[in-house]
Amino acid sequence: METRDSLIRVEDLKKHYKMGTIRALDGVTTTIRRGDVMVVIGPSGSGKSTFLRSLNLLEEPTGGAIYFDGVDITKKKYLDENGKKVKLNVDELRQKMGMVFQHFNLFPHMTILDNMILAPMKVKKLDREEARRKALALLDRVGLADRADAYPIQLSGGQKQRVAIVRALAMEPEVMLFDEPTSALDPEMVGEVLDVMKGLAKEGMTMVCVTHEMGFAREVGNRVLFMADGKLLEEGTPEAIFGNPQHPRLQDFLSKVL
Amino acid sequence: MDSFIKLSNFSKIVPYVQLFEQGVLVTVLLSLFTVAIGFCIALVLALMRLSNVRPLRFLGLTKDGHQKESGVLAAVSRFNPLAFLATAYVEILRSTPVIVQVFIIYYGVFSIIDLPSFRLFGFIKFDRFFPGVVALGMNSGAYLCEIIRSGIQSIDGGQTEAARSLGLSQVQNLRYIIFPQALKNILPAIANEFVVIIKESAITYTIGVQDIMSAVNAVKGATFVIIEPLLVATAIYFCLCFPTSKLIAYFERRMSRGDKR
Repeated sequence: METRDSLIRVEDLKKHYKMGTIRALDGVTTTIRRGDVMVVIGPSGSGKSTFLRSLNLLEEPTGGAIYFDGVDITKKKYLDENGKKVKLNVDELRQKMGMVFQHFNLFPHMTILDNMILAPMKVKKLDREEARRKALALLDRVGLADRADAYPIQLSGGQKQRVAIVRALAMEPEVMLFDEPTSALDPEMVGEVLDVMKGLAKEGMTMVCVTHEMGFAREVGNRVLFMADGKLLEEGTPEAIFGNPQHPRLQDFLSKVL
Repeated sequence: MDSFIKLSNFSKIVPYVQLFEQGVLVTVLLSLFTVAIGFCIALVLALMRLSNVRPLRFLGLTKDGHQKESGVLAAVSRFNPLAFLATAYVEILRSTPVIVQVFIIYYGVFSIIDLPSFRLFGFIKFDRFFPGVVALGMNSGAYLCEIIRSGIQSIDGGQTEAARSLGLSQVQNLRYIIFPQALKNILPAIANEFVVIIKESAITYTIGVQDIMSAVNAVKGATFVIIEPLLVATAIYFCLCFPTSKLIAYFERRMSRGDKR
């Protein structure tokens, strides 16, 4: 496992508000390697979501660094391999990181298919036919090819989230970020979404998942991060985190959720 | 008791029917141009107000290039001159009477700028029509700006986050995700504003634009009849405004396809 190269390196990441009285992130350091399925757990308000959203700069950190493929993406400019100063292209960066949200955030004024092909066509400049073909293949994979012409409101929560996942996949990202993807779902729909995520993990997709699904963390994750009060308190394999928790906060947390 | 409306007085209007016909055309043209100009101004203003241009941003950065959290410099660094200008424009235009604005544009601005004095369609005096359009357009631009801004802000932030996380740029996000949804939300308010413009255009008769109200005035001056031409004008304005709001209501229904289960 140690031989895998690192994709994202997070160093002493901070997000402070109001003169540092509120510390959503307070010095988080970790490394995400290619093929990792990293699961971030912790009580609400612990900074898990802020951490995840900082990775693709939906939140602007106030300190520390995030190296993606060796480039510090928290700075506006960086030095390229020839030592030249280049402006960081955030849009280009975000294409490489697919994101799935708690509330799906499908575009309600477009059909499922249009949701899927918009970014591939407008950002990757694929022609409509090719984008359509890829989108339908992805939809087929999550069993929703027959709903391509439906509008998001006609879908159940679980279906919406499956569409949101393949919409992000359509951009062929290097890493997928999941921000509590099952928290807004009715209990009977959680399974279908987790199944899609398990499938992705099996294929070797690099994933960072903020979730309250401890079963998923234990079964699918290869590394688990425990956060509280903006700090990364414990990090380890699922066996270590769930079987032999060290930090009292983690022991306390697990006693409540398991 | 004498009725204040006399049927015989309506017959006195008949020789002036052409004035009313011309007035309708002028009012319609005035409103259309006003809406077009107003919408363009409003779009620019709304984007200025929502922009994130911070020329003094460097003042609020810490040594390692991160945003400072607070303090005077952090506040100064957030200053957005575009948003400031747009807000000032909107507040000034909304807080002064239209008639004052129309007079300032006509007697002030266009006393310096010479307009060609030709006549559109042979009867619309361009050097009066044009200042009227500019003044009304500037005024409705301020109101439409607030409508457009509220429409853009009414869209859930998750939409922008989803679009940006897919790699769409700010402009693409506005064009493909935000505007189509915002437009649907603000159509009733825009319809209202269109109707307001049609009615408000009546004020331009004070600078000699020959709209419906100026036809009323002409009849009054020539025949000393006032109520009856006013009733005719009332009917005409109603026939212009009512269908306009109905038409937009139709488009509103057509655009809400995505809401139906």
